[in-house]
Amino acid sequence: MSNEAAHRTARASRQGKSTPRRTKLTAYALVGLIGGMGALVATAQPMYRAFCQVTGFGGTTQVADEAKLAALIIPVEDEAAKAARYVTVRFDANTNAKLPWHFRPVQRELRVRIGEQVLAHFEATNISDKTIVGTATFNVTPYKTATYFNKIDCFCFTEQVLHPGQTAQMPVIFYVDPEMLKDINTKNETAITLSYTFFADTDQSAAKKADWDQSAAKEADRDQGEARQAEAERRAENSPANRAEING
Amino acid sequence: MSDTAHAGTDGGHDHSPTGWRRWAYSTNHKDIGTLYLAIAVIAAVVGGAMSAMIRLELTQPGIQFIEDFQFYNMLVTAHGFVMVFFVVMPALIGGFGNWFVPLMIGTPDMAFPRMNNVSFWLLAAALVLLVASTFIAGGVGTGWTVYPPLSNADFHPGMAVDFGILSLHLAGASSILGAINLITTILNMRAPGMTLHRMPLFVWAMLITAFLLLMAIPVLAGALTMLLTDRNFGTAFFSPEGGGDPIFWQHLFWFFGHPEVYIMVIPAFGVISHIISTFSKKPIFGYLGMAYAMSAIGFVGFIVWAHHMYTVGFNVETRSYFVIATMVIAVPTGVKIFSWLATMWGGSIDFKTPMLYAMGFIFLFVAGGVTGITLANAGVDQAFHDTYFVVAHFHYVLSVATVFAIYGGIYYWLGKMSGRQYSEVQGRWQFWITFIGVNVLFFPQHFLGMAGMPRRIPDYPDAYAGWNMVSSIGGLITMLGAFMFLWILYRTLTAGAPAEDNPWGEGATTLEWTVPSPAPFHTHEVLPDTSDLQAAE
Repeated sequence: MSNEAAHRTARASRQGKSTPRRTKLTAYALVGLIGGMGALVATAQPMYRAFCQVTGFGGTTQVADEAKLAALIIPVEDEAAKAARYVTVRFDANTNAKLPWHFRPVQRELRVRIGEQVLAHFEATNISDKTIVGTATFNVTPYKTATYFNKIDCFCFTEQVLHPGQTAQMPVIFYVDPEMLKDINTKNETAITLSYTFFADTDQSAAKKADWDQSAAKEADRDQGEARQAEAERRAENSPANRAEING
Repeated sequence: MSDTAHAGTDGGHDHSPTGWRRWAYSTNHKDIGTLYLAIAVIAAVVGGAMSAMIRLELTQPGIQFIEDFQFYNMLVTAHGFVMVFFVVMPALIGGFGNWFVPLMIGTPDMAFPRMNNVSFWLLAAALVLLVASTFIAGGVGTGWTVYPPLSNADFHPGMAVDFGILSLHLAGASSILGAINLITTILNMRAPGMTLHRMPLFVWAMLITAFLLLMAIPVLAGALTMLLTDRNFGTAFFSPEGGGDPIFWQHLFWFFGHPEVYIMVIPAFGVISHIISTFSKKPIFGYLGMAYAMSAIGFVGFIVWAHHMYTVGFNVETRSYFVIATMVIAVPTGVKIFSWLATMWGGSIDFKTPMLYAMGFIFLFVAGGVTGITLANAGVDQAFHDTYFVVAHFHYVLSVATVFAIYGGIYYWLGKMSGRQYSEVQGRWQFWITFIGVNVLFFPQHFLGMAGMPRRIPDYPDAYAGWNMVSSIGGLITMLGAFMFLWILYRTLTAGAPAEDNPWGEGATTLEWTVPSPAPFHTHEVLPDTSDLQAAE
């Protein structure tokens, strides 16, 4: 580059003359770099969510789809599964202080055969005089088992509406992937804790809708709740999971 | 501003604007540098007063005088923000950077002088917002890391955190503009013969720091914006009830926060290199290794952020990676430390005050670096996380080592900036008082941390009483040193002996020593003599 020309840059700009092209290009490139970092941070939230779901980071459990369930048939046949390894699944229920619900697991723990589908229940009661929409966050500990903890259906997938005083049974169907026994970090685990925390949903529009015609909504909700439970039980019965012993 | 512009077009180089216009409208790199240094001194008094209150409260177990614990939390938080964003960064980057980058590379001013002015006044506005936040709704009591859920609308319902967020937004915008200015200046406006591989190490340090700023600050800005919308507009980036995750904040914050510590310390490396070389009367040992060691530290600084988060529950492989990557930083840091020692080795060392501070920097930075290696171990950190051991560690590297570089830099360049030389006797006294003070202040905090004393608490069990008392006494000695520094600064500016153009002799070889002291309003209007550089070409 011509150093003398570059040297004139500051004098030129101080005198209100136009900035040399090279200086402008540098500045534009730097603004581009800032834009690039800005784009990264703007897309960070969906990327982080995807990362957690894929890697089980922070104990994010897996959701089993049809393909996964079909694939499960093979592992059950193989050596590890034949060893009939069991793992204790403990259930933990928490309620955020701002949500006036009682929330508890119906069973403290289950002894679960690895690879089998299991049905467990939680129970929530709305102790307030208002209809409230709740939503549950979930994870498992130890975190490293999260990639092997698959949910087939769960009350945590959707928001839950409870009328004043209403109690609802909330089912979750899951299985522990036999792949867990092949992972050097997880094969000796004997217990997994499945934990939920119920929060008041930031979006309470479903509660208003439910209140709008309360009697009808109540009726429908109970029917729906029973239907959901019946559906869950039907699925559980059809699976080999109902052989799981209930210890609690 | 029009005054300055006319001064240029008229070719009247002696003419310079006067009165408040000179400062408020300034586009002159030296005046803006002076403004940055002034705001750093003012903020240091504010931040120092806060640390004095914290230390006095912790002198003995029980509550001494801070009965409102939110006030204590606010002090801890504001002390951190003020020291990081309004003392260390303005002094080293805005102050020394503005003053000496153009002087050292032989150019009359920064590439975008008016943007330089905007950078400074954004920072001043940011400081006003931050100070305002301390008076609103109990202040920001979140710690400088602003972790949700503590920082969300449930636990900090008032406007204080919003003020704090907007303050950091403005400080970030100021830093980004300043960084664009520095990089553009350094890349395009060097004197003939001064190739990248021949520029002074302080300029290298500023170049790397500016790149770190450009890449780290947008991440902080994005994270703060998410927090702002979470608090005010019903989004749920960090709140689980809406599908968010508080840990996500920690990733974003530390992706900014770790490079931020290098943003503070790399300019200090630059200053120290010059002082060591000047007073050893030798060129710096391993110049290229020094430059690329800073680059390597800057690069690796971006891929070690999760070592601040070992306790959030990573699997063992993730933790192994972050332990190893963190420890790798010890290699380029070691290159720097040993090159400084090799520069002094066999040199004709002149123990002037700046050199004492530079040697103090090396000693204290190594001490803080060693505890950094300790904390880098994920297993050890399970025990030490959020204890006073961490407080001792980062105060050794930042509050002590980096501040030593600021003290040293001011003593080193004060003659050039003001035209008056400080008193060497007073300077040495001030150094030894400060050196003893900071070590008595922070070394016992290692013991407190190893004994399990948590950070950010106003009261503690009696078992920790002894070393807390020692630490507070050290705090008073350090404060005495700080007052003495202010007095020396005042005496020098009002009654100091006239400074020579180059008071340091043959060791001071960079271009700032070729211009008169004090440096005139306009310098390097004609190209500086770089024939030695060109001869080497």
